[in-house]
Amino acid sequence: MRILIVEDEPDLLASLAQALREEGYAVDTADNGEDGLFNAEGTDYDAIVLDVMLPGIDGWEILKRLRKTKKTPVLMLTARDQTRDRVKGLDTGADDYVVKPFDLEEVYARLRAIIRRGANKTTNVIEIGEVKVDTAARLVSLKDKPVELTAREYSLVEFMALHRGEVVTRTQLYEHLFDENESSLSNLLDVHVSNVRKKLGAEFIATRRGHGYCIEG
Amino acid sequence: MKLFKSIKWRLQLWYGLILVVVLAGFGFTSYQLERNRQFRHIDDEIHRRAGVLGNVLHRPPPRGPDGGGPDGGDQSFDRPPRGQFPEDGPPGRNFPPRTQFHLPEQDTHLFDASDPNGFYFSILGRDGKLIASSTNLPTLFDIYAGFSEGHDEAPAGAPPDSRAKGPGSLPVRTIGDFRETLQSLPSGEQILVGCSMVPELNELHRTKLTLTGVGLLVLLVGLAGGWWFVSRALRPIQEISATAVKISSGDLAQRINVAEAESELGQLAAVLNSTFARLETAFTQQKQFASDAAHELRTPVSVILTQTQMALGRDRDAAGYKQTVEACQRAAQRMRKLIESLLELARFDAGQEMLKRLPFDLANNVKDCIELVQTLAEERHVKIISELSPLPITGDSERIAQVVTNLLTNAIQYNNPDGEVRVKLESQGNLAVLTIADTGKGIAAEDLPRVFERFYRADKSRTGAGNSGLGLSICKAIVEAHGGAIEATSVSSTGTTFAVRLPTNVG
Repeated sequence: MRILIVEDEPDLLASLAQALREEGYAVDTADNGEDGLFNAEGTDYDAIVLDVMLPGIDGWEILKRLRKTKKTPVLMLTARDQTRDRVKGLDTGADDYVVKPFDLEEVYARLRAIIRRGANKTTNVIEIGEVKVDTAARLVSLKDKPVELTAREYSLVEFMALHRGEVVTRTQLYEHLFDENESSLSNLLDVHVSNVRKKLGAEFIATRRGHGYCIEG
Repeated sequence: MKLFKSIKWRLQLWYGLILVVVLAGFGFTSYQLERNRQFRHIDDEIHRRAGVLGNVLHRPPPRGPDGGGPDGGDQSFDRPPRGQFPEDGPPGRNFPPRTQFHLPEQDTHLFDASDPNGFYFSILGRDGKLIASSTNLPTLFDIYAGFSEGHDEAPAGAPPDSRAKGPGSLPVRTIGDFRETLQSLPSGEQILVGCSMVPELNELHRTKLTLTGVGLLVLLVGLAGGWWFVSRALRPIQEISATAVKISSGDLAQRINVAEAESELGQLAAVLNSTFARLETAFTQQKQFASDAAHELRTPVSVILTQTQMALGRDRDAAGYKQTVEACQRAAQRMRKLIESLLELARFDAGQEMLKRLPFDLANNVKDCIELVQTLAEERHVKIISELSPLPITGDSERIAQVVTNLLTNAIQYNNPDGEVRVKLESQGNLAVLTIADTGKGIAAEDLPRVFERFYRADKSRTGAGNSGLGLSICKAIVEAHGGAIEATSVSSTGTTFAVRLPTNVG
């Protein structure tokens, strides 16, 4: 899951980015409106965390322009807890909002929710054969026994599960699992896929030669 | 009892009372005057008749029937033969006592016996015996009792000289419905003339009823008119109180509907309205200020919350914790700066900020400030050009330096790289005028009037640690506390100029 955070307060941006990385997301950051809009339009993020007050182009404007080309789920960070602002945000195309100051747990939950809705899933638990993926608890179980996955491995499983039945290309996987600062060594992805197969069964992820990977079902 | 505490009712009661007293006095006086007039009229009439009878009695009785026919003198006095009394002697007791009396023909119309309310008479001889009387003489009364001089019934309101009026000022009496006079002739006979006052009394009764009716009508109209007028006059008070109730319950936007701007209450309402408006403005500003202050605290609090929650999310090495603590410290310092600025403004608002009043050279002061910001200017590649000549003023040099530094910092921060800041100090009459002009991108015309407002930022996002959004508000408060003025002018993409005008001799 790859996320973009657009926030101009450096300490807030840094802590949010680190917290979300530790949650297993691939995180890109932008500290002004122009960069934020550029990134948002250029990459298929799974979600965007967007501050309203930004130098350059403000959050509303980014949202308005982004909505012309992309349906990326957007979580707005607003400082004003006023109905008018919330309505404006939701009407402009925001998927949800949190009011500053917020708790990280709330940001996590709302992010999960908008990502799930973006993938047209209504529940937190995705069942694929004997494998269950609980996106709220970020847990994967095989035959009702929890399976230990690294954060990156979990992200891989979650992304594949949210796109089950589709062929997911390696490029897509790179885009959603790694942020812009990570070197995209191709064998890194192979390592993760191989580890997941070891833990959940070789047939869990099928390889489509020349296309990518797929979870059947 | 609540009724009598109401101004409306008390006013109504008071002028109702006055109206009743005035009307009663007027009515009573009118009635008495009318009554006097009627009585005087009756008295005149009975006196006239008594006079006529007296004259007839004075005249010597006609001798023989030469008065007209054998019984032509049947209405003349039957007196002893003339020869018995000296004809030219004074009338009086030397006449023999009369025994008979006949009313002369030409006077009969004066006593119309057929009219039950007509005049009547009776004549008594010297011995008190009845000599003659008209047929309509009532027989009810003691013939001598109750007489008094003049108008015995004259009311107090009648003119005092009314007693003197009337022929001979004969004694009169009112007995029952009758008015009578008794004339004693020198010859000893007594003439009683009277008449029934029933028509006059009826007339007076009607007058009384009319006066009472008119009085009641006037009272009613007066009370109704007064009620209407007082209600009208007091209506603004009701509106004022209704509005005040709404305002006290929190709706500060309410205003009194001023219908009559000219009346005293209208003026009061206008004054109250302007007071309400000022209160509302102050209240709104206060609310805005509090909400802005809370808003400003949201970002640093967000930083502390996310940093600490993130740090506590898992075990970290010392460097990781140090990073978090440092971020928290920065956030806390930002909040401290904000709180200090807020308190400073609050002190200026409350007029508690004590300014020093000491003479100092403003040019030196500005020069020191320029040195202070020189490093920042060099970092940003901004050149400061100053044009200063000594200008002694009186005031708080530290506070003025705070203003100058703030304006200089703004001029550098919002300047373009390789821009200029021009500082100029000149004297204009009693004013020291300091202008600080930058070559930045300027401030939009719609933002310009608001730059001194608290938390107002032309660029909404400049929420950096060094910019609380209160700097210019504090500058304004300081300059105004010195009795000066500060203003900003801006030309888009050419730059912004701040001008500070300070009186050279403060307080």
